This record gives sequence, C-alpha cells and structure tokens, in this order.
Amino acid sequence: MSTHPRLIEVRQNILKKNDIVARALRDRFREMGIHVISLVSSPGSGKTMLLEKTLARLRNECKVAALVGDLATENDAVRLSRAGVPVRQITTGTICHLEAAMIEKSLEQWIDPDLDILFIENVGNLVCPSAYDLGESIRVVLLSITEGEDKPLKYPTIFNTADVAVITKVDLTAAVEFDFNAAHRNIESVRPGMRVLELSARTGQGMEDWFQLLR
Amino acid sequence: MHELSIALSLVDLGIEEAERRGVLVVAVHVRLGALSGVVRDALELSYQVAAEGTPLEHSRLVIQETAGTDLELVALEVANEHSSAID
Repeated sequence: MSTHPRLIEVRQNILKKNDIVARALRDRFREMGIHVISLVSSPGSGKTMLLEKTLARLRNECKVAALVGDLATENDAVRLSRAGVPVRQITTGTICHLEAAMIEKSLEQWIDPDLDILFIENVGNLVCPSAYDLGESIRVVLLSITEGEDKPLKYPTIFNTADVAVITKVDLTAAVEFDFNAAHRNIESVRPGMRVLELSARTGQGMEDWFQLLR
Repeated sequence: MHELSIALSLVDLGIEEAERRGVLVVAVHVRLGALSGVVRDALELSYQVAAEGTPLEHSRLVIQETAGTDLELVALEVANEHSSAID
C-alpha cells in the first residue's frame, strides 16, 4: 500500500514539445532570413482577404508564401493562390489550432530558401491557437469592427500572446457604429503598449501602415 | 476546445517524466492560469480520456489555479515503495 505518497517536482511546461519544435523553427527561419508573420482571429474577421491583398502587393517586391490552416476544405488556399505565390493548405481535421509540428511538416521539401516573408494563417479561433508557439517572428491578431469593441476583454489570452492588433473592415464603420476609442482602450487594458493598426483590405484604407510593418 | 490536445501533451509528458525516474504515479499536479486559455472542467474530463490505457490511467489530476498564463506540470505524486528516484 502506498501510504506515504510523495511529490517529485517536475516544473515543465505542458506544451514543452511544441515549444521545442517552435524554437527550432524560429532558429531555422532566422538563419534563412525569413520573416514569419502569423495571423489569428475569429472566423470571418478578414484574415484571408487581408492576405489576398497583401500577397498580391508584395509579390512584386519580394518572395512571399503562405500556409493556411483550416479544419476542412482547401478554399482559402485556392483563393490565395490566385495571387500567384506558393500557398499550402494545412487541414487540421478536428483540431482547432495549428501546432509547430504541423508547420514543420508542411515546410518539408516545400520551403524556398530564398523566401523573404512567410505568412501563416491560423485556424479561425480566438481561444485554442493562443498557447501554441509556431516559431513566428510576429503574431498578429485581427479584430473586425463587426465583432464589437469588447472582443479583447472577452478573449484576453489571444491578445496577450499577440504582438500587433489589426482592426479590420473599417470601411463598414458607419454601418456598425463601431467605437474605436473603446476598442483601443480595451486592447490597451489587456495588452498595454500593443501596436494597433486600422485598415480595410477591401478599400485599401490603412494598408500602407500594414505594409510598413511587414518590411 | 483544445483541452484534449493539452491533456494528451500532459499525459505524454507525465509518462516520460515518470519513466525517466522509474516511479509509479498516483497523481499529476498541474498549475493552470486564468490566462492560459484552458478550461478547468474540460481539462479534467479530457485527462481521463487521454490517460486511458496508459500508465497514468488511474492517476488523479490535481489542479492549482493561478492568475497568470501558467500551463505547467508542477509535480508527480508517486507511490513511495516503487520509487527509485533521488530528488
């Protein structure tokens, strides 16, 4: 009978394995001189639209590629490949987020060593992707104005792990009466000092600041 | 809901740490932050599923909640007579 159980200290991050793979990826990207930008947001906040416009613009200036994650379908990859740059879809099945190992696997025999910027579009989800480091240089969280100003307060974790917040679909401001001051205040309260951009991929408003960030 | 993925990672890590030390685990102690994005109830349920058929099958999950972003395996509670570890 184990009458005297005792505690052995371990103190390891539960996602240690993911962190190790992500660190190796980050080192590899750095050595290859590839800037990696990941996009996270809820479904339908404009990740693919922003990427479409971004790839179309950047393809003339540098070498870009994109990895897109979804539970099912290759729709986003098909949409993005119209920009004429390499795009690969990661279908996760029932998994609600991308993990570093999926990125590593997708890059096998695919990644161009001369690549300048790799975009990673995560599965549309504001909860699950937050804990998984993908080895990215910058994590961008999108918030569309149709979602409401309080999204950062409802999902503080994802805003906390991101480096930059982008408020999208600003061309719809009049229709949805979005309160920009409140949105900025809410982002500031969960992640003080976070850089925030406002743009509309559809009209092009604010896109120059976005391109500036990518350079 | 990604608690099952988290639970599978936790069980993997727990088994690895237990085997390395040659111990029989009766409970797994974790620290779970309010900002970890992981829901306690869902993790508890997922743990049972993830541990099934593994050496951790009959272990308990002991969760200590914190205010931060912690998602940490803090300690393994082991049955003494099986222990060969010096710590």
